[in-house]
Amino acid sequence: MSNQSGSIYGLTIISPIKDEPHLEISHSLAIRMYLQHLHTILKDGEGPFFKVNSTHMARLVVLDDVVYFGMPSCEEHLQSKYLIFESNFDGELDTYLSRLARDAKEEVHNIWQHCIGYPGVENTDAFISYMKRCQVETTFYFADVNDKSVQQTLRALQTQSAVASFIEKNQGMPPNELQNAFVDFSKRLRNAPPPKPGSTKGKELTDKVL
Amino acid sequence: MPNIHGKAYAMNTISPMKPWKTYILRFLFFFWRHYKPLGDGLVGLSFIHFARWVIVPRYAFPRLSEQQPKNDLQYDYLLFFSNFNGTWNQYIDAFSAVLFEGLNLIWRWSEKFPGSRPVTPFKNFIVRGQVETDYYYTAYPHAATNDVKAAHRVQLAFDDFERQSSGMPPAKFAEAYQQFLVKIQSDLGETGEAPVGT
Repeated sequence: MSNQSGSIYGLTIISPIKDEPHLEISHSLAIRMYLQHLHTILKDGEGPFFKVNSTHMARLVVLDDVVYFGMPSCEEHLQSKYLIFESNFDGELDTYLSRLARDAKEEVHNIWQHCIGYPGVENTDAFISYMKRCQVETTFYFADVNDKSVQQTLRALQTQSAVASFIEKNQGMPPNELQNAFVDFSKRLRNAPPPKPGSTKGKELTDKVL
Repeated sequence: MPNIHGKAYAMNTISPMKPWKTYILRFLFFFWRHYKPLGDGLVGLSFIHFARWVIVPRYAFPRLSEQQPKNDLQYDYLLFFSNFNGTWNQYIDAFSAVLFEGLNLIWRWSEKFPGSRPVTPFKNFIVRGQVETDYYYTAYPHAATNDVKAAHRVQLAFDDFERQSSGMPPAKFAEAYQQFLVKIQSDLGETGEAPVGT
């Protein structure tokens, strides 16, 4: 399937945005203002996709119109503006969309309420069906690491950082002390809480945990 | 900046294509997917987490109600989305330097594509077709693509070493530990805040 690479799903959704010329703030501008608001109020990566933690990377883009590249091509215009939602996530599409409707319902509603045909998030089946009507098939999809989940990647990054710190702190130690320290370290690492998705703080968080 | 989250940059471009040309591009993508992976070249670049090309036929922009005005388009559209590390200029320069043949085969079907070399007209083409991102999220913003791959190698080596060294006498453990360090030493680069670029 061209929407998938390994265990990663590449979702592309294009939702038409409502057009009501009498409004003081257009629906497309309202989406942009809300998304800007999300950037300013959220702490360290928290947001709709932080709540749906199978999301590797996602973006929202308001497409005002197509682009005219100049003569001899023809100039043409879209009759609606569109909200593009691009996401790279683990697992199945239906599961992901139902998690969006359930775990990030406030943000999803605040964004998609400006789109034509949006049925709300209360009825999950209706929401999934609506999103699938707006889905376009990915023609070619590439994922550099396509066999690891978000949690596996976060855990691996935590291990990498912690192991580097351990090596640095235990240089030149006698074998028996080194072994005891390693056994203790690996226990603490196994029991450490998983790293928070979306955080820009890498090593310092791991150091705090360990 | 909405285009950037940590070390990742979200780029979106759109370009028009005559409908008959999209059949050729679809065939090329099909070929690359099944016989000669374009992905190999992208993996070689090692700074792209995820990328995709989406062909939207002129009749396929969703229309969900009778009240929504109908589009009357002559062109199909090629959308490109990329999640990469580094700056926009580095990205386009690397694309142009390393993958120019593949890029030419992908975008030559778009109107007014100047070729990916020389790089200045290519950059102008990308700028013209670029659409700004309004919201961008990545689950591991402090890590570049190479960090992610290195971290998975460290995790694998760590799990192996932990399992194999369990119950070893201390002298043998120290020896195995040295071998473990040699194995992972090039994968221990530090992650964290991204450098500021343009």
